Formats: sequence, structure tokens, C-alpha cells
Amino acid sequence: MKLLKPYLARFKGDVWWAIVSVAVVAFATLWQPRVLQQIMTAIIANDKATVFRLGLWLVALGVIGIGAGVINTVYSARIALNVATNLRADVYRHVQTFAYADVEQFSPSNLVVRMTNDINQIQQVLMAVFQQVTRIPLLFFGALVLALVTIPSLWWIILVMMAAIIGVSWFAFQKMGKLFGRTQKLVERVNTIARENLMGIRVVKSFVQEDNQIKTFAKASDAMRDVNTKIGDLFAILMPAFFLACNLAIGVSVFLIGRNITAHPAYLAAISSYTSYLFQIMFAVINAGFMTTFAARAMISIGRLETVMTHAPSMHFVAGPSQPVGGSIAFDHVSFTYPGDDQPTLRDISFTVPAGAQVGIVGATGSGKTTLAQLIPRLFDPDTGTVTLGGVDLRELSQATIRDTVSFVLQRSTLFSGTIAANLRQAQPSAALPQMERAAGIAQAAEFIERLPERYDAPVEERSANFSGGQKQRLAITRGVIAEPKVLILDDATSALDARSEKLVQEALGKHLAHTTTVIIAEKISSIIHADEILVLADGRLVGHGTHRELVANNPTYQEIYRTQKAKEAAQ
Amino acid sequence: MTDLKNAGRYYAHYLRRYWLGMLVAMVLISISTWCIVVAPTYLGRAIEELTTYLQHWANPATRGQASFAQFDRTIIIYILLYFGDASTILFASLILARVASFSTGTMRVGLFRKMQRMQVQYFDQHSDGDILARYTSDLDNIFNAMNQALLELFLAIAQFVGILLMMFNQNVQLAWVTMASTPVALVIAGWVIHQASVSVNAQQDDIGRLNGYINEQVTGQKVIITNGLQADSIRGFDALNAKWRQTALRGQIWSGVLNPLMGGMSLLNTAIVIFFGSWLAVSGSMSQGAALALVVVFVNYAQQYYQPLISFTSLYSMIQLAITGARRIDEVRNQPDEISPQPGLPLTQIHDAIQLNDVHFSYLPGKEILHGVDITVHTGEMVALVGPTGSGKTTVMNLLNRFYDVDAGSVTFDGTDIRDFALPALRAHVGIVLQDPQLFSGTIADNIRFGDPEADMTAVIAAAKQANIHDFIASLPAGYDTPVSDEQSVFSAGQKQLMSIARTILTNPKLLILDEATSNVDTVTEAKIQAAMDNVIQGRTSFVIAHRLKTILNADKIVVLQAGKIIEQGTHDELLAENGFYAELYHNQMVFE
Repeated sequence: MKLLKPYLARFKGDVWWAIVSVAVVAFATLWQPRVLQQIMTAIIANDKATVFRLGLWLVALGVIGIGAGVINTVYSARIALNVATNLRADVYRHVQTFAYADVEQFSPSNLVVRMTNDINQIQQVLMAVFQQVTRIPLLFFGALVLALVTIPSLWWIILVMMAAIIGVSWFAFQKMGKLFGRTQKLVERVNTIARENLMGIRVVKSFVQEDNQIKTFAKASDAMRDVNTKIGDLFAILMPAFFLACNLAIGVSVFLIGRNITAHPAYLAAISSYTSYLFQIMFAVINAGFMTTFAARAMISIGRLETVMTHAPSMHFVAGPSQPVGGSIAFDHVSFTYPGDDQPTLRDISFTVPAGAQVGIVGATGSGKTTLAQLIPRLFDPDTGTVTLGGVDLRELSQATIRDTVSFVLQRSTLFSGTIAANLRQAQPSAALPQMERAAGIAQAAEFIERLPERYDAPVEERSANFSGGQKQRLAITRGVIAEPKVLILDDATSALDARSEKLVQEALGKHLAHTTTVIIAEKISSIIHADEILVLADGRLVGHGTHRELVANNPTYQEIYRTQKAKEAAQ
Repeated sequence: MTDLKNAGRYYAHYLRRYWLGMLVAMVLISISTWCIVVAPTYLGRAIEELTTYLQHWANPATRGQASFAQFDRTIIIYILLYFGDASTILFASLILARVASFSTGTMRVGLFRKMQRMQVQYFDQHSDGDILARYTSDLDNIFNAMNQALLELFLAIAQFVGILLMMFNQNVQLAWVTMASTPVALVIAGWVIHQASVSVNAQQDDIGRLNGYINEQVTGQKVIITNGLQADSIRGFDALNAKWRQTALRGQIWSGVLNPLMGGMSLLNTAIVIFFGSWLAVSGSMSQGAALALVVVFVNYAQQYYQPLISFTSLYSMIQLAITGARRIDEVRNQPDEISPQPGLPLTQIHDAIQLNDVHFSYLPGKEILHGVDITVHTGEMVALVGPTGSGKTTVMNLLNRFYDVDAGSVTFDGTDIRDFALPALRAHVGIVLQDPQLFSGTIADNIRFGDPEADMTAVIAAAKQANIHDFIASLPAGYDTPVSDEQSVFSAGQKQLMSIARTILTNPKLLILDEATSNVDTVTEAKIQAAMDNVIQGRTSFVIAHRLKTILNADKIVVLQAGKIIEQGTHDELLAENGFYAELYHNQMVFE
């Protein structure tokens, strides 16, 4: 709740209007039976003038009720939307201050869910709360007081009715709680089987397992059906029980009023309004129950957003503008453990790369290649040891300096929807057409961009679905080289390119970015065979470095990788 | 309209068998409605009796006649009527809860059953998410609607009719007064619902755009961080967020205002009825008791009169979703099944050869993928299919166990068209190892004996040994009983691939189709998979979509496909000597220096 307080305070005016208008609605609803009672008294007294006056007042009350209801809706919607919009904006801003480790800790998809579903949930609940929240207690206490004032002696009937309603609900929801847990598990099971069979439809068909899978699915589905039936049974009890409790209360009340009518003849006019109050008490109790379960779901969402908002970014940069720094890279006894892991991913790594050199990093999957590369643009900080850029510890450089010096092209090339030019300008905001063409030329992307009718203004769809894997990678490389960075990291960035294009990219890099320090991470030895130096990683350790020729001669890890890829030997 | 017709047909199909239950429920609901609409007249009568009693009692001459006998009887009937209402509704709800859960259960299994019979084409042309949504959101919407809407809808209709009848029975003039505001309410409701659906659609579009943006940006956060794009990202977000606020406010107001509006209309209508009723009572010729009773009864009716309309408006969107859901599932129901000849020929052995004869094939009409492909493989031989992406390699695989059927030409085993074999018999003898090894929840053992659930552990272990995965499985604490979970995150891509190979080995297929993995695993793991694949291929007829040189070099025959045609065919040495496409491919991709 603390999360929402400042927002509600900011929209105090709306909150005030919403509450006042819903109070008016409650008043109109409660006052109607009161006037009805007066009218009945007037009928008994045969007082035409009063009947007419009260009748007009009733109609006016109805019109006021409608007007107030509409006003309340408008202000409730304003509160819900204003809070949702501002909350989402603040969460988004906060997430943008996160270091990559923070994003990974929450996982991107999880953050997205919090900014979409959770905020949506809060918005819906706020809307409902301001349409109902003051109404329920007002209606409840109002009806209760008015009922007690109307016929004081029947207080115990109200008590018994409420006890019955609450008792039945408690019993039903107690039982339902467990069933909901079970049905949730079964829903997941059913969906899992369906999904596996969808993705593995070829496997199922080729092993002729259709009938067995249907049997498995039917079993899960039947179990789910049976639990749903049980829940349905419990729900079936609720409404009839509530109404029976209320109507019984009314019947008994009328009976008792009637039997004592000679003592209180005026009660004759009160019977109708009294029954209305009993109904309102019943509805208020039921609605309060619904609102509680509804609000409970919002509390979960609020809690999830609170953890994001209270999470402090795990990394801080020294303030300052971008400053020139050299292109040499050095790792000095660097070890690194991912948050939440117990084993370090990198262990005691030391090496230096002079400015302008080309370095290759190879190793099996999980050997730590990508992790090592991610330390260079300071996506993570090492546990121990230092990483230096141009001789300066990364932790002493401003964020702008590092971003302008190091360009990182990822394994899974992420392009953003928009145009090609917009994506390229992300690395170089001032980039004009000649620069784009030059960069695209280096990345071997010019060839297919030129064929697009809109060329650099061609659209990039969501998930860049309108480009092939190889094209995506070439666009990502274009973006990576457009600013002519001092340091360029290619993390398996040419994996979807055919051998010829890859070779051309490498030749162009050597020719046009001769002064750029290039770090190439690759699965294929052919991608780094010409590097000035190759680093070999195994289980997070640097187990060798040197040129291809040297490593082939004396490094067993490298030899094994090389053997599995080498054509001529494989032929034997 | 056709939507409605299709949905109607769908529901008719699945609800037909519950006709008796639904009929009983409707009868029960009618009884309950009768109780509810008749009960207020007894309340009115009770008040009338009390008025009479008071009048008798007030006059000393008649005080002796004053009696509660009639009053007591009236109240007892009043209470009994509500017992009648509660019990009938309870039983109707119990019946309908069963109808809802059982019919959606049948729908769910029916959908799954249908999917198992459908052609692979459907799955290739539709996204998994879209198909899965039929299980999750569509069936969910149907269940919710059946569970809640069915009873309320019956109840609303019955009550509406019942109240109308009772009102006209009691007092025609007041009945008309009660109904007078209905057209206004209907027009308002229709207008608000229309505005709401228009603005909610606009809101959905904008929230879709906003969510899409957030998803894209946060998923690409690494790029945002490494390029320092945070400020740009916030700017883009703010624009979309502000735009959403505008449309969402409209949507929220229009969809939120209906309920208060209808509640207010009900309140106003009750006021009008009280006004006219009491005016009638004081100006008419009725007795005082009858007049009081009339007002009490009509207040009761006026309060209930709008209930059906209110519940219908709140059920409207739920019903709408259920209709859409039924249409979407009905679409699937109308997809063609796989064709298996009845009775098909049995298949026990392939003695001589597998042939593709002048095969033409297209996934979409007019877009032919294979243009007359001829391949002959003798039993025991291994054929490597080579060619660039989109050349038709995978398509050839799809034809061999009839995931798709040829447009023209034929695929034959020992000269018999495979379309003449019984489909299960054919597939039982054709084993497939796919690039992306799909495992299923269950234990490792369950997965290995997937193709033959009756297989014993000896067979499972033997298969695992051949696939070079036994040692790994044995090293796990739970061994072969280790659960393969939904995400399968415990196992690497390579391990999963090996398990899928063991799964294929266990069924001992005559013909093997292998699609080699390309880039999921590093080259050392790749070598292990390679060895396992060699074990399977040993002594079997096999088609391999080959990416690895070693496989290609070991092939008895290499078939080079390009743009749906065979351009070269022969052994490695023959093709190198030809110095054509294959030779260039070989030199470009496979050789180091």
C-alpha cells in the first residue's frame, strides 16, 4: 500500500470527488426506503399533498443517484488511469537505471510482466475500489443503523442473518481454497501436455503415439473436470444460502411485527423499507467478501512492483562526460561469479591486448567466453581483480566514456522496431547517409539494404521478423561499427553468416577499422584463425593463448576443438 | 452472424447429450421464478391482513373478530415459497455446474483428440501460441461463461417473464408504469455498450503497442545499456504511455459507467413506481389495506425488474468471449484429418529400395518447392542431402513418412506407394531424429520408451548405451527415474539430443531420417552426438540432412539440392571430380586454409 500512497496523494482532488459522489449514491440508495416509509404513513393518513411532495422528492433522489454514479465513474477512472500511467512511468524509469545484473536478476520477461499485467491489475482494482469502496461500508452501516432505528427490537434477526451469511461463506471458501490450489496445478499439467504435443507433433506422429497421448491428456483433463465440479458445487450453495438467510430474516421479522402490531401500529408502514434494508445489508456483506478477494490479488501485484522499486541498481558509474581513452584492454587476475551461482564462471584470468590488435576467444559452451566479453563494456563488475581500458580501471571511467569507447555486438542480435537508420543511429545519433553506407559496406549489409525499396528507411518489424538471421547479424554489426569505436566486441556475431560473407566481414574490419581493438568470440575456429592472439577458455580458466599455429602445436584443449572441426582428418 | 451460427453449432454438438439435465434445470428455474414472483404478493397480503386486523382491533365492537389465523398462514406460505426458491435454485446450480465442467471437459479432450488426427500442415502454418490459446484462453472463456452465464441467463429470462406476468396480473396500470422507462434504459445501455466496445478496442490497440514496446526494450536491455540508450528509451515510452492514458480513460469510463447507470435507472424507476402507486392508492377507490399491499408488492417488482437487464449487460462481454472461443475451436474441428487408407497394406520389411519418383510438391498452391525429384536408395545405404537453406532438404524428409503427401509423382517402398500402407504401420518403421529434440514431461525412462511404452528397462538401457548417454543418466542421483521437467533446463541441448536418439534406437526403425543439429551445441558435444548417430545409422537405410562433413563423407550417396531440383548426385569423390556446386560448397565451408 505504501507504493500507492504518493500517487493517491498526488490526485487528491480526483479521490475527493470519487468518494463524495459515491457517498451521494449510497445516500440516495439508503434514503429511498426511508421516504417510502413516510409515503406509506401518508397513505394510511390519506394525506395527498404529502404523498405528492414525497413522490417528487423520490424521483429527484433517483436522478441525483444516476448523476452521482456517472460522476463517480469518471473520477474513479481518472484515479485508476492516472495512478497506472504514473506508476508505470516511474517503474520504467527506475528499470532504466538498472545495471545488466539487475535486469538478469529479475529476468527481462519478469520485469515486462510487472510493468504490464501487474499494473493492469492494480488499475482494475483501483477502479473497482473507488466505485465500491466507500459505498460498501456506507451502505452496510447506513442500512444497519436505519434498520435498527426503524424497528429497534429486531436487532438480533440482523445479527443471525449476518452470522449465517458469513458462516456459509467461510465454510465454502475454506473448502474452495484447497481446491483452487489443485485446479491450478491441473491447469498447468493440461497446458503442459497440450504444449508439448504441439511442439512435438512430429515426434508423436512418427512414433505413432497419438492414442497414448490422448489417454494421458484425458486423464489430466478428467481430473481437472472433477475438481471444477467440486468447486462448482460449493459455489452453487452460496447464492441460494444467502438469499434464503435474507428472506427468512424478512419472513420472521414480518411475523414478529405482525404479532405485536397492536403495540406498534406505525410499524405497518415500515415493513417494506425494513425489508429493503435487510437486502442492502446482505448485499454489502457479500460485496465486501468479493472486494477482499479482488483486493488480495492487487496486493500481490503491488508487492511485486514494490520489490522492483526498492531494488537499488547494483552498479554505479563515476559521473562525467565522455572522455577519450585508449583502446588497449587488460584483465588482471579477474574472477567472476554470477549473482545466485555458487561456482565462479571466470577464475583468475589475466591477459593484455594492445590497442588495435585482433583477439579471438574460443572454448566449449559454458567455458565463460561471453561472460569474459561482457566484463569489457562493464556489464558486470568482477568479484576480484581489475579490468582496464586504455590503462584505466573501468570503475574509474564514466558511463559515457565506456559506451563511446566500446561497441558490443551480441550473439542474439537485437534490433528494435522502427527503421534501419533509427537502429544505426542508436550507436551514432548524428550518423548521416554516407556513414551508414560505409558501415553497412564493412558488415556486408549494403548488398541487401540496397535492394530494399526504402533502403536505410526500410522498416524493422517487431523482433526484426522481416530479416533473416544472417541479415539481422549483419545489421547488428553495421550498428556496432558505425561509430568507429576504439574497441569492438563480436560475440559469436557472425554465426548465421555463410563462410564467404564472414570472411569478407573480417577482411573489411581489418582494412577499415585497423586501429580498432577487435575481440571476436567464436564457435568456429575458422572465424578467428587469423587473429593476432587467440585465448582458449575451459571451465572459466584461461588455458592457453597464442597464435593459431602455436596453439595447434601445443594446446590440448585447442587441439580437441580443432580436430572436431577440421575437414581432412574427419574424412579418415 | 456466421460466427454466431458456427458457435451455435459447436455448443449444440457438445451440449446435446446434456439435454435432460438442462431441461430439468430449466424446470427448476421456472419453479424458483414462480416462487420469487409470487412471494411478494403474500407479503402484500400479510400487510393487508394486518391492516384489517388493526381496523377490527381499533373498533371495540369488532375487536373480538380480530384474528391472526390468516396472517400466520400467509407468512408460513411466504417462508415456504423462499425455501422452494432456494432448494430449486440449489439443484439447478448443481446440475448446471456439472453440465459446465463435463461439457468443457469433453470439449478439451475433443480438441486434443482432433489435434492428434490433424495434418502436420496445420501446425506448420499456425503459431504454437495461437493454437495453445485455444486450450488456455478460449476454453477458459467458454468454461467461465457456461459456469456463470448459463444459470444467470436462464434466471434473468425466467424472472423477466415471471415479473411481467405477475405485474399485469396484479395491476395493469402500475405494470405499464413499471415498464415505461424500459425503452430509455435499453437505448442507453445499447449506446453505452457500443461506445464501450469502440473505445475498449482502441484501448486494446494502444495497450498492445505499449506492452510491445516495453517488451522489446526490456528484452533488449543489454543493447540499451551498452549503447547508453536509456534516455531515448524513456522518451519513446513516455509518448506511448501518454497516448494510452488518453484512450484508456475513455475505455475505462465507458465500460465502467454501465453498471452505475443501470443501478441508477433501477433506483429511479422504483421511485417512479412508488410515486404513481401511492398516488393511485390515495386517489383511487381501493381499500387502505389493498392500497398498501399494492405499493409493497410493486416496490418489490420494480426493484427486481431491472435485475435481468443489469445481469445481461454484465454477462454480455463474457458471452461475447465464449462465442469467439467457440468459433475459434470450431475452426480447428473443421480442419481435414490425415488420410490413412482403409484397410491399408501392412509393412514389415523393406527388402529392396526406397524411391522418390519425379516428386513435385508445394506447401501452398502455386508455389512449388520440389520440381521433379528422383532419388533411389537401396536398403542399408545412407544418403546425405546437401544444399543451401530453402533448397527443399527438409521437404524431402516431410514426404518420407507422410507428414505431407506429394502433389505429383510418388514415394515408394519396394515399389509400393507409401500412401497405400496403413499410416501407423508406415510410421512405425520410419524413425526420425529432429534438429530440435522435443522431450515430454515424465521420467528419462518414459522418454526413451516413448515409442514403445511397453518396453522393459533392459531395452531402455541398451538404447541409452548405444546413444552414448547411459553413463550420464547413471551418474544422476535418480538415474532413469530423473524427471524431465517442463523447461528441461536441467539438461543441455546436447544431452536432450542424445536422449532423443536413444528414443529412436529403441523402436528399431527400418528407415531412419536424421536432421543434424546446426548451431545449438559446441563442436565437442557435437562429436559425441555424431558418434551416437553413427551407431543408429549402422545397418539401416537412412536419409540424413547433413551439415557435417564427416557425415557427408561417409554417405553412400550425396544428393545436392538447389531450389527444389537435384543438381548433382553421387559419391564424394565423384562430385569433387565434377567440380560443380558441391565442390565449391566443400571448399568454401568445410576446409580451413
